[in-house]
Amino acid sequence: MYPQQIHSYLLQFFKENNCQIVSDNDHFINVQLTIEMDKKIMNRPFYWKYLESTNGVPDPAQLTFITDKNKLDENIKGEVVHIGSPRLSQLFQVTKELGSFVQMYEKVNDGLETKTILTPWLGVNYKVSYYSDQTKETLYSLGINLMTGELKEAFQESLYEMDLDVNMPDNTFNLPYIIKPLRALERLDAVIENTIQQDDHTWAEEAKMRWKKDREVLEHFYEGVEDKPDCYETEKEAMEQQYEARIKIEIINGGLFYLK
Amino acid sequence: MILERSTAWKEGFIERLENRETWDNWKLYKMSYEITKTNLITDFHGLQSPKFLPNFTPLAHQLEVAERVIERMNGKAILADEVGLGKTIEAGLILKEYLIRGLVKKALILVPASLVSQWIEELNQKFHIPAVQYKKNYDLNHLTIVVMSMDMAKRSPHKENIYDQDFDLIIIDEAHKLKNHKTKNYEFAQNLKKKFCLLLTATPIQNDVFELFYLISLLKPGHLGNYETFQSSFAASKHNVEGDEYLKELVNQVMVRNRRQDTGIEWTNRRVQIIPLDFTKEEKEVYDLISELKNVSPVFSDAFSMLTLQREMCSSKEATALTLTKMLEKCTLPEDISYLESIIQKIMALEINSKAEKAYEIISQANGKVILFTEYRGSQTYLQWYLQSKGITSVLFNGQFSKSKREWMKQLFKEKAQVLIATESGSEGINLQFCHHVINYDLPWNPMKLEQRIGRVHRLGQEHDVHIYNLAIQNTIEDHILDLLYVKIGVFEKVVGELDDILSAFKKTI
Repeated sequence: MYPQQIHSYLLQFFKENNCQIVSDNDHFINVQLTIEMDKKIMNRPFYWKYLESTNGVPDPAQLTFITDKNKLDENIKGEVVHIGSPRLSQLFQVTKELGSFVQMYEKVNDGLETKTILTPWLGVNYKVSYYSDQTKETLYSLGINLMTGELKEAFQESLYEMDLDVNMPDNTFNLPYIIKPLRALERLDAVIENTIQQDDHTWAEEAKMRWKKDREVLEHFYEGVEDKPDCYETEKEAMEQQYEARIKIEIINGGLFYLK
Repeated sequence: MILERSTAWKEGFIERLENRETWDNWKLYKMSYEITKTNLITDFHGLQSPKFLPNFTPLAHQLEVAERVIERMNGKAILADEVGLGKTIEAGLILKEYLIRGLVKKALILVPASLVSQWIEELNQKFHIPAVQYKKNYDLNHLTIVVMSMDMAKRSPHKENIYDQDFDLIIIDEAHKLKNHKTKNYEFAQNLKKKFCLLLTATPIQNDVFELFYLISLLKPGHLGNYETFQSSFAASKHNVEGDEYLKELVNQVMVRNRRQDTGIEWTNRRVQIIPLDFTKEEKEVYDLISELKNVSPVFSDAFSMLTLQREMCSSKEATALTLTKMLEKCTLPEDISYLESIIQKIMALEINSKAEKAYEIISQANGKVILFTEYRGSQTYLQWYLQSKGITSVLFNGQFSKSKREWMKQLFKEKAQVLIATESGSEGINLQFCHHVINYDLPWNPMKLEQRIGRVHRLGQEHDVHIYNLAIQNTIEDHILDLLYVKIGVFEKVVGELDDILSAFKKTI
């Protein structure tokens, strides 16, 4: 992420969370946090507890974020934010938390005589991580039609072409779903598992080989030792944790989408 | 294969379906997806960490080391770059990479006490890794990246607390301090669970090849076989490892070592010379008397103290007199006492210190700042007085100084004094690139100590050729020390690889 991208990310993030942008320059911004946001990111529970128990006047923090230090000529004090900085990681985490579940409707042109029928879909974004002593991650965006069970890949990207709204438009008619959302979720889970099964798992085999090799070296070291010391067991355990292949399936977010 | 999944999202989803919670914001939803996509690690290989460090560009050799350790050494390695090439940076890169990839959640960094704050600073500022210094009463359960002094870590109750934790990565700086497998340090490190592990040292062999064996056995027990097989195959004699390409190959599988000249950076030269000196007639006489001590009485037969006395006599009468006076207190026989007293008398009568005079000569010709290393506190104080009498300002430096005092002395040296007189324990963790003359007033037994000393000034940022003067008094114990130093350098080079000049280049061919 370039400074520009981070800058616009911050702007959007705070706007969407109703925090007032006090000043917006091209390489730093000043934000007035709301009480909710202060509680989320300022890590001062005792202050808020004290304030609430004494009925004090809340004074949520005002923060300055510098998004491009190289352009900074002004004498500004603030947090330098860049990819890898703890603050940005924290905001990413909050974004994930606050953007996990949606229900959206596709907009329909007004003035049509007949009601438009909207079809319900369940969309889920999965992150699949392969771990041994190395890692690799893949993102899958899947959608399933709750009427027909039809599957769609790259579902999230396909939504970007549509005009979506949180409110159900007038003049539309929602089909009641035939496949219940939770049942659909199970199906998508199964699709992901199947995809994983079909995938190339040489990486796990290779990790196993490395593990085996290291174990042989260790055994050689303690060859002929009757009472093996504790550190032998510790070492073996460490190897297991180092090389054992694990696959983690994580849902980033998902929701119900009513589409034309 | 283990499959991990969480039902957290499903539960949140049910709450929304049942109208117990409100739906989230669509823009934040899209942002979350896009962030995940941008930060996705799409390949097992390659380094992610550089793009997370926008304000800091690691050098090419440092990136190579990080990649090699992670991909080809599976995260267990000895980082043995020459002094001043940035082993801390390499370790930081590797730690960062594992943090980004989610392979390391908790890490423990063990360093000498004097380097704790330096590590914290580097990790925080260069790598944005929120490392904290461990203090008494801290609860390790709540700490993720901890920097701790080795001395503290190995003691109860900290030791037990550490064993109770599941650290994914252990980093040990100045790992040559683990060379002796009979020490508490070694035992402590051996019992640590080392999933990923980095041992940092510029000097993996200090005296003999067994030190390397124990270091590697700590990291990867069995890699060099067990002790018996290692001993029989590689060490008919301690210092003889002729033609052991095979050993070198094995070592290279767990150790990375960059030399200054392979970094692609322009380095200034080292100009090393041995400066042979002669005692005055009077000095020689006292030296011989001291050497004779062991034949005078069984009280003086302890070889170690005799060696020390001889070395001290090569340094200064002040250093020697201190030790002799201590010995005197322990003597009971009248003839022993009178023999010692007569030596002390002769010593006190000495008016010339040949070595100090030579040192003065070098300093006055140096035309710049000079660091002088001595092994003895007595000599340190004497030299300051002696140089003062010649109109040369100096500051003292030793390892017992607190961090602020060290900084203060360094500042004084930089701005006011011409000479820094340091004892051995002062040669770690200070960087003095503004100076380019090093006098080894006394020679240590261990060549790597010389390397560490020179490394204080011959590091990134040095703009001048570095001049190194090794003073040695002929026909004394220092001849013997020089010979041993050459042998040890030879062992190092056969097993580990070439070493930059520390004694002098020409004698190698002899």
